[in-house]
Amino acid sequence: MELIIALAAVALIAVFFISQYNRLIRLNITVDEAWAQIEVQLKRRADLIPNLVETVKGYAKHEQSTFDAVVTARAKATTASTVADTAAADGMLTQALRGLLAVAEAYPDLKASANFISLQEELATTENKVAFSRQFYNDNVRNLNTAVKTIPSSFFTGIAKVSEREFYEVEDPQDRNVPNVSFN
Amino acid sequence: MQAANRRKTIGLLMGMGALMWVVVYAALTYFGGTGAGIVPIAVGISLISVWGAYYGSDKLVLTMTGAKLIQESDNPKLFDLIQEITIASGLPMPKVAVVIDDAPNAFATGRNPEHALIAFTTGILDVMDRDQLQGVIAHELAHVANRDTLVSAVAATTAGAIAIVSDILARMMFFGGRRDNNNNANPIALLFSLVILILAPLAAVMLKSAISRKRESLADATAVSFTRNPAGLRSALEVLAADSTVVQQRSTAVAHIWIESPLDAKSVSKMFSTHPPIQERIAVLKSMESLG
Repeated sequence: MELIIALAAVALIAVFFISQYNRLIRLNITVDEAWAQIEVQLKRRADLIPNLVETVKGYAKHEQSTFDAVVTARAKATTASTVADTAAADGMLTQALRGLLAVAEAYPDLKASANFISLQEELATTENKVAFSRQFYNDNVRNLNTAVKTIPSSFFTGIAKVSEREFYEVEDPQDRNVPNVSFN
Repeated sequence: MQAANRRKTIGLLMGMGALMWVVVYAALTYFGGTGAGIVPIAVGISLISVWGAYYGSDKLVLTMTGAKLIQESDNPKLFDLIQEITIASGLPMPKVAVVIDDAPNAFATGRNPEHALIAFTTGILDVMDRDQLQGVIAHELAHVANRDTLVSAVAATTAGAIAIVSDILARMMFFGGRRDNNNNANPIALLFSLVILILAPLAAVMLKSAISRKRESLADATAVSFTRNPAGLRSALEVLAADSTVVQQRSTAVAHIWIESPLDAKSVSKMFSTHPPIQERIAVLKSMESLG
């Protein structure tokens, strides 16, 4: 009888250890997958850009500085590797694309062209997909970081070789522009 | 918001279990030993019918609603929108179907996220803009993420079993199946158990509807956690509320799966309604918007 109780206790503890360990591993893998999804969507957006730039160029030849900004931002975005670098490049590219679309507003022929309309729709959905994959990644990083910091899962981070991960924070220059408020 | 809705669902499911237990107890009081034998049979019958439907839910619902599966090439824009929400929710891409019907409506089904199916009427695809449709898709995928097909299958099984038990017992009463060795039982207890057996199926249907209403509110809340845009779903619900056309099929069996109830709201009282009033849902989403 005592033997059975002892064995049951050992089994229970083993189950607890395994479930804690597996939870951390699972959370970590989900963050990896979420990161892969961000990269897929960023790649998709980067692939759209040459086509978009060419289309706009066909109608608006004199906006060279806007094109240059997009091309530079795209080059940076495709070479970035760390979370922080990717996020910064992503923010710059979003900004540059916004400029490009603003240019397009001034050319009615361009706005009416079928090619541009379909590119615009594709860019809109890709921007949404980038934003959603970012949101999904950050949600999962938050879950992982909470597990890494809270008891009891925090005891298992060493064995599972899981540590806190970095949030994906987009540096949107426009968000930095705090409106000037003066109190006279 | 989501946690509160989940707790209420669990409470209601427990209420369903308690109701089942009361019915069994009443049956035992009234019939003695013979009553007990019926319960496993009733649960068995109900289980087979409902779980058959649960496993084949995607195919079954397709036949019952006349929805046709479509491919990405048929409507790339719709697929783009659905992909956006699968990315936001981390769910796999569901099967997509279209019902040819002018009434704007949509539904989701499938026993797990891998077998999910979401369907739209041609009406909803015509009238809604991008943000509204995104809200609707998020609501439907929220049902998938919350495993509402499973929840409603559990609710339907229990409600069905209670109905079968009461039905069989009512017949037995009619044919005088009551045992003589129970004659010394308290007549008040006998009368009481009789009343319980008659009222139980009604209570079961009410509980089932209450569970369905809670799942709708939960799906609205989960949808907002996917899109972070309560305004999209809110204006979609406003479009649905303003629209008076109703999907051309009034099968009560599948009423609970649509985003807007296809049953004429006026003919069903709130107790038996499978959906919370649409104005209430709009008000909740508006309060989320003001939270930013």
